[in-house]
Amino acid sequence: MEQRSNQKTRPVARSYPISVERVTKSYGDVPAVADLSFVVEPGRVTGFLGPNGAGKSTTMKILLGLASATSGRVTIGGAAYAELPDPAGTVGASVEADAFHPGRSGRNHLRILADATDTPLERVDEVLELVDLNHAASRRAGAYSLGMKQRLGLAAALLCDPPVLVLDEPGNGLDPQGIRTLRNLLRSRAAAGNTVFVSSHLLGEVEQLADDVVVVNQGRLVTQGSLADLRQSASLVRAASADVLRVALEEAGGIVESKQPDTLVVRGLTLDKIGERAFRAGIALHELSRHADSLEDRFFAWTGEAAVGEPQRNTKEYQ
Amino acid sequence: MNYLSTVRAELRKLTSTRMPVGFVIVLVVIGAATAIAVAFGTDMDGSKTFISTAEHQQSLMAFAANALVIAGLFGAIAVAREYGHGTVVLTFLTTPRRPRAVLAQLAAAFVAGSMLGLVGAGVSAGSVAVGLTATDYGFMVSTADLLQVIAASTLAGGAGAVLGAGIGAFVRNTGGAVTGTILLLIILPPLAVQMVSETASWVPNTLADVVSGVDSAVGIGAAITAILLWALVPAAIGLVSVTRRDVV
Repeated sequence: MEQRSNQKTRPVARSYPISVERVTKSYGDVPAVADLSFVVEPGRVTGFLGPNGAGKSTTMKILLGLASATSGRVTIGGAAYAELPDPAGTVGASVEADAFHPGRSGRNHLRILADATDTPLERVDEVLELVDLNHAASRRAGAYSLGMKQRLGLAAALLCDPPVLVLDEPGNGLDPQGIRTLRNLLRSRAAAGNTVFVSSHLLGEVEQLADDVVVVNQGRLVTQGSLADLRQSASLVRAASADVLRVALEEAGGIVESKQPDTLVVRGLTLDKIGERAFRAGIALHELSRHADSLEDRFFAWTGEAAVGEPQRNTKEYQ
Repeated sequence: MNYLSTVRAELRKLTSTRMPVGFVIVLVVIGAATAIAVAFGTDMDGSKTFISTAEHQQSLMAFAANALVIAGLFGAIAVAREYGHGTVVLTFLTTPRRPRAVLAQLAAAFVAGSMLGLVGAGVSAGSVAVGLTATDYGFMVSTADLLQVIAASTLAGGAGAVLGAGIGAFVRNTGGAVTGTILLLIILPPLAVQMVSETASWVPNTLADVVSGVDSAVGIGAAITAILLWALVPAAIGLVSVTRRDVV
């Protein structure tokens, strides 16, 4: 798998951005997705983050035409999934980790897909080798581990070598080697101009995999953008009179968090602005630098959920 | 991607598990029971009148009514399990136009059900022939009548599978689909006949016997049309429900 997944993926002939436009999906009176809009760009790996029940899977199902939106529109390269001339050849998807007949072999599962998409049957063995499942291809899928099922789902998504990949929690159940292989595979596909959209709750995995993130909570968009930019959207300030500086920065519209008695993390103000405010207040700064949070810290801040043992954090800035 | 490719994929789904083998085993068991009954069974008076004429033998071989029920259960289980296991997602990802996908499922169910009906009729006729070797009676059914019995069972098998597939698509739960199929083909028809005796000619059992040439309650053309309607109405309900609901 390692060897094959590191092979260079051929560049795509046409790019397919995914566009989610004001999508709402309600089950009765309960909104699963509410007025959600974002764009997934080709050539990048986009992580789709949110707590359980945030609406990630529902959004993906709407994207793939498996569920209908109450309102709004989702397009892939400008067309709804069902309107694409070759849907399965354009989008490779894995949305249900265990969507296999337990009595059917992995190879036959893929052959069915090959039949439906007019894909040569030889390609089945190619993708089985790509995901390192050829040794178990003849075994019943019901006997597969979760990691093997994930690999089979990935093989199905890759069968037609599509320019768009939509994967729901593909890292679940994979061992460290499998996760690394998945990461290399997805990154190489994105590097070739493909669109890669991956939902996950494994933040460490996303941190190493994604270029961009879309974060949802309770069906609503919390934030989206380049992961690097989002993580660096804070500044670290060290000053002798941190309490006084804090008041000055909050008056200027900053959102300030005390890390230590003399250290503040400031959001919503540029480095220049922070420096100016400190100068006006007559406070000497010992350090003023960009501050990169871990994705986990950012995630809990975005979703307003505290990690175990931590207080709830302010998320107003992202609403 | 074309419609035939989708049908081919659906057929591979039906044939790539052990379920068809299970159903063929059921047919063989029924055949074995038939052969034993022919060889050793008697009428109430101890005679072998029930195999003494070509008409009697043809009645014993007529498998269409059984094919309707057995293939009905096959279609119901096959389609309902697609939803249970989530494999239907694959169908709708490769064929997102749902009516087309469901029509492919129904076509595959018809083919598989017809095969079950054909095998069932063959096993049934063979069982009667084998059983007769242990009696004083020979095989009296003409080739034309034998072909009619086999054709009727093939048609009934196809129709039954489509009926079951329609119920499976509507109910989406294996237990519910099996129950629905049994209700529709076994339990409700006699109740309907009890309430309105005129319906006796149009219930599945009678229609299957008419097509097999062992009953003449209605014309054969009308019987074929009615059997197909019994299948197509649940199929249409299944198709409409799949089109309107979310897949998962």
